[in-house]
Amino acid sequence: MIVELSGHSLLVFVGIPALVIAVLALLVFASSIASGPRYRPGLSWWAPPVWINGPTATKPDPANLPEMPELTSAPGATATAGTGVARTLGGASASW
Amino acid sequence: MPAGDAFTPDQLYDIERAVRNAEETSGLHFSVYVGGADSETRPFAIELLNELDDPDSSILVYVDPAGRRLEIVTGSLARRQLSDASAGLAALTMQTSFATGDLTGGLVTGVQQLGAHAHQPPLLHANNEPHKL
Repeated sequence: MIVELSGHSLLVFVGIPALVIAVLALLVFASSIASGPRYRPGLSWWAPPVWINGPTATKPDPANLPEMPELTSAPGATATAGTGVARTLGGASASW
Repeated sequence: MPAGDAFTPDQLYDIERAVRNAEETSGLHFSVYVGGADSETRPFAIELLNELDDPDSSILVYVDPAGRRLEIVTGSLARRQLSDASAGLAALTMQTSFATGDLTGGLVTGVQQLGAHAHQPPLLHANNEPHKL
């Protein structure tokens, strides 16, 4: 037996359920769409680097600094210049 | 939010507020870097610390989301206030949040914890005057 569906029946039995499903799906995914891509460990990282509270100004390039005569005359002075005092750093590491 | 940004403006604000609070609590300089490393993470984090204005009194939190690595580097003076064990505890806190995909929550909680551990109460006995009974 073949049931003939009228336009009104199609609207009630197909259109309305489809509309309800679409609204529910929109409500479910609205928050993730609004917040953008989320970090998922193990997958690729997409964003450019972010440095919060970083250096206020770029330090001068040591290659562009004026030369100091007393240092340039001493052999090996350029090898130690700019290294500064050896510092003892601390901290911790972790991975996930 | 522009496509491709790591954090929304609200998330950035939360992290910056945590950094400011930690700085006020400890008197040290805090900096947070989130991104990939050009080389090994630890040397790269130390390079970043050295680029700061006052590296000796600074604490750098470096997060590599792609490599799933976290580095906390403390300067030579900052290390006196924040021991490696305390930094390790904060790293553990952040690691737990990062593993669930919560970068912002991990950074906020971790930086707050670092600031609290680095907090130095005022020395009430710093004055050398003898006790008066």
